[in-house]
Amino acid sequence: MARPKSLSVPVLHIMLVLADGARHGYAIKQEVDRRTKGAIRLGPGTLYEAIQRLEDGGLIEETAAREAEPSNGQEAQRRYYRLTDRGWMALRADLRTLGRLVDEARANPQLRKELA
Amino acid sequence: MTLGRALLRLFPATFRKRHGVEFLQAIAQERARARTAGVLSSVRAVGSLTADAIAASARLRALQLCLAIHRRFDSGVPSLPPPAKRTNMDTVLQDLRYALRQYLRRPGFTAIAVLSLALAIGGNSLIYGMLDGFVFHPFPYPQPNRLVAIGVTFPKLSAETTYVEALSPLEYLDIRRARSFSRVGAFDLGNRNITGGEVPERVFTALLLDDLFPVIGLSPVLGRGFTRDELAPKGPPAAIISHRLWRTRFGGDRNILSRAIRINGQAASIVGVMPPGLVLIGTDLWLPWGGEPQSVPRNRRQYNVLARLAPGVSLAQANAELSAIAARVDQSERATFSEYENWRLTATPWAAALLRDIRPAAFILLGAVGLVLLIACANLTNLFLARSSTRQRELAVRLALGAGRWRLTRLLLTESVVLALAGGALGLAIAWLGLRSAGALIPGQFQTLGLEAGINMRVLGWSLMLALVSGLLVGLIPALNATRTDPHDSLKADTRTGGSRSGTRLRHTLIVAELALSVLLLLGAGLLMRSFLNIQHLDRGFESDGVLTMRLTLPRDRYPGDAAGAFFDRLSERIAALPGVRAVAAASQFPPSNVFDTQFSLERGQREERTLPTALITVASPAYFDTLDVPLLRGRRFTAMDRIDTPPIAIVNQAFAARYLQDREPIGQRLAIGSPDRERSWTTIVGVVADYRNNGLTQPTRPEIYIPVRQQTAWNQLFVLVRSESSAAGLLTIVRQTVSSLDPDQPVYFTQTMAEVLAASSFQQRLSAVLLGIFAAVALVLAAIGIYGVMSYSVSARTQEMGVRLAMGAQRRDVMWLVLGQVLKLSALGLALGVAALFLGVRALEGLLFDVRATDPMTIAIVTLILASVALVAAWSPASRAARVDPIEALRYE
Repeated sequence: MARPKSLSVPVLHIMLVLADGARHGYAIKQEVDRRTKGAIRLGPGTLYEAIQRLEDGGLIEETAAREAEPSNGQEAQRRYYRLTDRGWMALRADLRTLGRLVDEARANPQLRKELA
Repeated sequence: MTLGRALLRLFPATFRKRHGVEFLQAIAQERARARTAGVLSSVRAVGSLTADAIAASARLRALQLCLAIHRRFDSGVPSLPPPAKRTNMDTVLQDLRYALRQYLRRPGFTAIAVLSLALAIGGNSLIYGMLDGFVFHPFPYPQPNRLVAIGVTFPKLSAETTYVEALSPLEYLDIRRARSFSRVGAFDLGNRNITGGEVPERVFTALLLDDLFPVIGLSPVLGRGFTRDELAPKGPPAAIISHRLWRTRFGGDRNILSRAIRINGQAASIVGVMPPGLVLIGTDLWLPWGGEPQSVPRNRRQYNVLARLAPGVSLAQANAELSAIAARVDQSERATFSEYENWRLTATPWAAALLRDIRPAAFILLGAVGLVLLIACANLTNLFLARSSTRQRELAVRLALGAGRWRLTRLLLTESVVLALAGGALGLAIAWLGLRSAGALIPGQFQTLGLEAGINMRVLGWSLMLALVSGLLVGLIPALNATRTDPHDSLKADTRTGGSRSGTRLRHTLIVAELALSVLLLLGAGLLMRSFLNIQHLDRGFESDGVLTMRLTLPRDRYPGDAAGAFFDRLSERIAALPGVRAVAAASQFPPSNVFDTQFSLERGQREERTLPTALITVASPAYFDTLDVPLLRGRRFTAMDRIDTPPIAIVNQAFAARYLQDREPIGQRLAIGSPDRERSWTTIVGVVADYRNNGLTQPTRPEIYIPVRQQTAWNQLFVLVRSESSAAGLLTIVRQTVSSLDPDQPVYFTQTMAEVLAASSFQQRLSAVLLGIFAAVALVLAAIGIYGVMSYSVSARTQEMGVRLAMGAQRRDVMWLVLGQVLKLSALGLALGVAALFLGVRALEGLLFDVRATDPMTIAIVTLILASVALVAAWSPASRAARVDPIEALRYE
């Protein structure tokens, strides 16, 4: 199965949100909005496209559990997703790469201030 | 429709199914939120939602497309499960699947390979189909090889053996005594008018002495054959008709047997209809001959004899018995008929006897297409060699994983055979089209034989066999080459694809072989082309432009004695008065292929020669020489004053004067026409005309005697030649009307322009030249593809070398010439070998050549020029690629 070598920024955000527990699509979007303070706004197309690709790639999977939110009538139709083992691995690998990137940036005196 | 639904449509079905509902909800929520922020915000939301959906759906679809392509092509190396579990069939199927995938992945390579094989195999199927239809299996009779025609040779008259219109009824009776034959039959050819419909119809007829149908081995589909009574002299009038005539003239009427028809004005009953397979020199009507053999002079030789070998008798035995019979006749009859001296009778399978004229050309063409196939195979071998060296790694992996060498060979052979079969299938389609249009190239003389060429099981089998053999041939060398590699070496070095020294030599050998074969074909085509042109531009000695010819046969009961001659005189006068007509003549035959000949004797100065004096004899009206524009050299022409009651006269041609009169004044010499056994009168020579080609376009002129139409009563069947001011064919209708104004019951047949007659007489050269030209062109294209492929490969393999040369200061032009020079060297070698091969095989071609030697330097020069230009064009792009090599790029990896 083909999957992106490294995760794109929106996808990384989606996976970070899911790392905190299973959520349905729109909830993921709202959480990303909240966390990035509107810097990253996932449109519905991008959102569900990313979900489909992640699911096809075996990085997330549907789950019956709805830990984070109580259910009401509307929620009943919604699919909930969580990270798979493979998803966790991919996320960790990507974050490590990003971490090294940030470390390298810190070594630069002109950039150090921004990252402090 | 809402915005959400419209946007959802952009996505693939899987997405709509899985996320459709949530997607719509999300869109709705987004829009609701935007609306609370005002009109402007809500408009902006529509835009951004739309842009987002378009981008996302495009990404998704692109991804799906990539996945689909991957799934189709990413087969990788198939794993090999333990051999115990798989049957042979599984392996074959697996190899087949793999082969197909290989080819689908390289459409360019596959197309070139399949197409070149298709052209080569198609050519072979085409020629084989023609040979099968015309030479190998022309007749659908039982055991056709045991059906023989009896031919005769009179060394005293000519060296030729004739099979058609060759024997007399008494000679037939001699032959009939032979015990080597289970059945013997003979027939005379003629024409009969059938009436009993709207228009009189002239039907090509065979008159049978004895029942011929059992000899041929066919019985009627309707009715019966002739009875003994009907075949006896003065028997009840009965007729048997061909399937073709039954369908066309009688509409396939099943009650035909009770219908009354009139043949030449006499009532006759049709007693049988023969099956469609019966082809008897194109005749459609069969009648009992009804004569007494004893009443026909021994030398009236116009009958055809067919016989079927008795069970267990070989052709050689039959011929031995015929020799004995001939010797007996020689002994008893030579005193009266001197031509019997050493005469020979020969039995030959009928098909071979009938078609011996086209056999040499047919076999040369079969050889030529065989060469084309060899070229195509050499080409493909090269392509496969080049490809297999790029597949070294794959094969090495397979070997390393434990695949046997035989298993790999089989895989590679499967690949090449699959390719060859595809080529064969396409080739058959090409052959089918070719055979359908080949009919246009085959002239009437063979169409009237009723032969047909098509794709039948034999042609199919032949093509299949060729495809299989080519597949194995093409795959074998690369397979052996590839499976010999040491997997260790191949896996280690992966970037270097440069060919080994022996590989290069193999590829170059193949190219030289291709070029040599192409040269051979080009030379052959060139020589045939020149022969054909020579025939076209030959000085024939007569003028054919604007001449229309047709034949009339006047029934003797209505035109007795001199009446036939008088009719032709009247007809000529009427036609000459028509607008647009320049000249009209009547004659018993016209050039270029005169057939009627006669013995004669001179009053004085007859010399004893090895052969008896013979000459062509033509009955001609006064205007004959003017109509054909043949100049009179001495004496006078015939005039209207030369009648049956004036002293008989003749005109001879130059060849006659030269051969028989030598240095004597021809005018006034007297000769007796006919063989010496009959009482004859002296005929005086009154004129000499110039020679023209009267023995076929390519043969030397034969001596010819002309006698006036009005001084004889034997000929009631003459051709009318009409020379028009402009187009010959345009006159046909009005000439027909003129004939029927004189005699409404008189059919006009064999209507042809002289141009058509001439075209038919050189058809063999034309057909061979056209077909061989096509094959040579295909060969040349294949060779060019070969050169291109091998040179491209060798240039890419030698990139580093070129880089080094350039880095060391070589000019780009030098590098280019390095490649071109190599191609020229290979071409020169191929040319030399091709010319040498032509010199060795020249005998086969010589019979087809006219007025050009097989070693014609002009043709060789032209072929050299063509070959050099094609080789240079094919090598140009690889050569310029070599010259464009960037030395830095090329040397980076050193």
